[in-house]
Amino acid sequence: MDITLNPADLTHTIAFYTLALTSIVAALIVVTAKRIFRAAVALAVVLICGAGFYILLNYDFIAGVQLLVYVGGIVILIVFAVMLTSSLESIEEPPSLGRKALGLFSSLAFLATAVIAFSETKFPLSSISAEQPKDVAKAVGRKLLDYGAGGYVLPFEVISLLLLASVIGAIVVARNPKRKNEGSAT
Amino acid sequence: MNELANSFAFNNAWLIPALPFFSFLVVGLFIRPVSDKLAGIVATLSVATAAFLSIWLAFDYFSAFPAGAEHPGLISWSFEWLRYEEHLAVNVGVLVDSLSILLMVVVTFVSSLVHLYSIGYMKGEDGYGRYFTYLNLFTFSMLGLVVAPNILQTYVFWELVGVSSFLLIGFYYTKPSAVSASKKAFIVTRFADLFFLIGVLLIAVVGYNAMSMFGAPGSLPDNVSAFDFSYLTSSGVSIMMNNLGLLTPAMILIFIGAAGKSALFPLHIWLPDAMEGPTPVSALIHAATMVVAGVYLVARLFMPFAASGTALLVAGYVGAFTCLFAAVIACTQDDIKRVLAYSTLSQIGYMIFALGVASATETLGYTASLFHLFTHAFFKALLFLGAGAVIHAVHTNNIWNMGGLAKKMPITNITFLIATLAISGVWPFAGFFSKDEIIASAFGTHHYVIFAVGLLVAGITAFYMFRIYIVTFLGKARSEAVNKAHEAPMTMTIPLIILAALSAVAGFVHFGDFVSVGAESGHAEGGFPIWIPALLSGLSGIAIAWFIYAGNSERSKALTERLGAIYRVIYAKFYIDEIYLFVTHKIIFRFISAPIAWFDKRIVDGGVDLTGWMTRRGGAVFSRLQTGQAQTYTTWMVNGVIAVAVLIWIFVS
Amino acid sequence: MSFSPELHHWLILSTILFSIGIYGVLTRRNAVGVLMSVELLLNSAAMNFLIFNHYASKPFIDGAIMALFIIAVAAAEAVIAMALFVAIFRSRKTVDVTQINTLKG
Repeated sequence: MDITLNPADLTHTIAFYTLALTSIVAALIVVTAKRIFRAAVALAVVLICGAGFYILLNYDFIAGVQLLVYVGGIVILIVFAVMLTSSLESIEEPPSLGRKALGLFSSLAFLATAVIAFSETKFPLSSISAEQPKDVAKAVGRKLLDYGAGGYVLPFEVISLLLLASVIGAIVVARNPKRKNEGSAT
Repeated sequence: MNELANSFAFNNAWLIPALPFFSFLVVGLFIRPVSDKLAGIVATLSVATAAFLSIWLAFDYFSAFPAGAEHPGLISWSFEWLRYEEHLAVNVGVLVDSLSILLMVVVTFVSSLVHLYSIGYMKGEDGYGRYFTYLNLFTFSMLGLVVAPNILQTYVFWELVGVSSFLLIGFYYTKPSAVSASKKAFIVTRFADLFFLIGVLLIAVVGYNAMSMFGAPGSLPDNVSAFDFSYLTSSGVSIMMNNLGLLTPAMILIFIGAAGKSALFPLHIWLPDAMEGPTPVSALIHAATMVVAGVYLVARLFMPFAASGTALLVAGYVGAFTCLFAAVIACTQDDIKRVLAYSTLSQIGYMIFALGVASATETLGYTASLFHLFTHAFFKALLFLGAGAVIHAVHTNNIWNMGGLAKKMPITNITFLIATLAISGVWPFAGFFSKDEIIASAFGTHHYVIFAVGLLVAGITAFYMFRIYIVTFLGKARSEAVNKAHEAPMTMTIPLIILAALSAVAGFVHFGDFVSVGAESGHAEGGFPIWIPALLSGLSGIAIAWFIYAGNSERSKALTERLGAIYRVIYAKFYIDEIYLFVTHKIIFRFISAPIAWFDKRIVDGGVDLTGWMTRRGGAVFSRLQTGQAQTYTTWMVNGVIAVAVLIWIFVS
Repeated sequence: MSFSPELHHWLILSTILFSIGIYGVLTRRNAVGVLMSVELLLNSAAMNFLIFNHYASKPFIDGAIMALFIIAVAAAEAVIAMALFVAIFRSRKTVDVTQINTLKG
């Protein structure tokens, strides 16, 4: 270990490994927990750790969005899904041994390939003197609404359309057809 | 460009085959389902228009090239259909020369009369419109055949003629005998056509190779093709082809094709059975037009045939044998149409042997043959149509159930008598002149065996024709149906009268001035009044027939009994059909077809089955991958992505 | 080699999370569990964007925007998935993906 570590870096390092360990353990719980509600809680933990990582990477704004949308929105949605489709206490049958083995093999193969791939690759790192924009939130906002070169206004609008379509689609799919008939009869 | 450039009929000669074709389409597709009556009228009118056009064309042509002058072959209209190579192209077109004009006139004329006759004859039959559709198709095919400027077009229409004849013979397709007759005709002629096709290919090869003898191919005009008749028959080319060797086999193969269509021995077996078709069809196809296609083909390729020599001689002897053979059978048959069918065979034999005795220098036989074709078309069509009128009236084909029809059907009687006299070769009717010329040509070229056969058959012809005439029209009525018989309607008698008039006078045409081959007009007489023995032979045949059949019917029975076994053999048509059956069933089917069928079923089909079985088993195995579980699919997908990544990593970096 | 987090540490972290997600997608029997595993995948992908943004193109912000988009798409996906689960559950009384095999050939 480098002795000339300054305190800020040390905190940074400790935070990274702590969060990493937590998120990996929580992620393992997500994929293996027998009780689906427990998995949902673990997912929330993973996502919160993710927000922590973003803060470590100096993207506070994205971390905020992550907490708001992911933890506050999607996880809650998933909990609803759990409750609508099975009881919170229901215990999931463990997957068959063959499937487990196949899944393990596939995921490890992916891990190995990916690790080998990026250990073999030389990434063009930005110079040490490069500075992050001062206010990430402001920069993101400007970029999203920029309709010039390198601007994201079109994908931004497309995303808004996608969200609208998915909301309507979800309503259509999930609506109970029987109840609709009753409604039209009265 | 030529003397006919301003002739409407010449410039539009393509209409002659095209009119029946369009009528075939229109009648078959649109009119037939709507109105039978209209179908008959339209079909008849179209063919009559074609007949009018071809007579006009003949008039224009022989005005431009009068009798005795040279008669060049002119292409009225053509387009390129296939081009294999320089000088090896196939054009579809209309060739106008004296031979094609002759055939066009005969075909359209007889065909339009048969159409007209059929309107009355077929009245009330099922498939009336279908009948006229087929007739039009047949007329179109036959015209396409005779106007063909090259041998490949001839072959195509040759096959079309075969198909339409198949359709017409099998017209009463609910009758098993008609079905088997049509199949028999189709298979026998197809068998012969196979040889014809090989012959066509062979002669094209020979002709193409002969071109190199003219020097570089470039020295020939561009539009010359080895398939063209104008090339194949031009003087010099045939001799050069003969020097190359393969000419004789090619011509014999082509002659086999002609023999199939013209029903020459031993491929004659289909023609008597083809009488299962409606009687006007027999008149059109199996008397006047289709069966003379073989004669036409030999005449069209006369120069190569003559250059080969051997091929022509083969044709001559086959023709002479058929001539005698069929005439003998005709004497014993009881079915009026079968007698006429065998007489057709016999007359075709005349035409073929007349061609056979001719040569490049002695061309009288050529002219005589086509002259006989011309006259025979009229009187044989008349005989068939007259027989049709009789059958229409008494509803039987057996002459022993007729008798005494002369009073009931006067017009039919007289016209039939004229045709009988014409075919018997009695002066001044048409058959006298043409038959006389044929016999004279055989004598003039010193083919004395053929000459003797011709003379003998003239007598036999007269005998059997008068036999059926006497039994049918004279004497006492032999069945109830005869008493109820009455004259045929107008649409049927008018063609009879027209044909009778032509049968009576057609012989006076100086035919050799119009249709001949080579420089000579072909009027080389044998230096001997040949008509005297010919006429005597015919008259003695008539006398014998009169003696045996007129009045006392006991004489014919006594004769039959005295001849005994010989009569039975002849009555059974020399057991030719049985021999065919024996050869095909006992030998070909058992020793050739059965092993091939076994091989086909077990090895070829087995191989196909094996492929199918393997595919099915493979499918069953692979379908087990389709578990329906999305996660299994995802596993494959993930591993696939990994594999692709690894492959890219190995091969790209 | 230092223990302080560098690019490689981050990448290995996100890849581990991604692999765990794959394992979950391939093995969870409960469809909601599969959905949660997919969320893991999306999360680690978004993290990758930010990692590369941070280390490879620091003055720019495009990676962060991509992360935002991923979060938005994940939200849309979760909504649709939940609707589908509800519909499936209503008709089949289960969301066990091993029981849903109408694709079987």
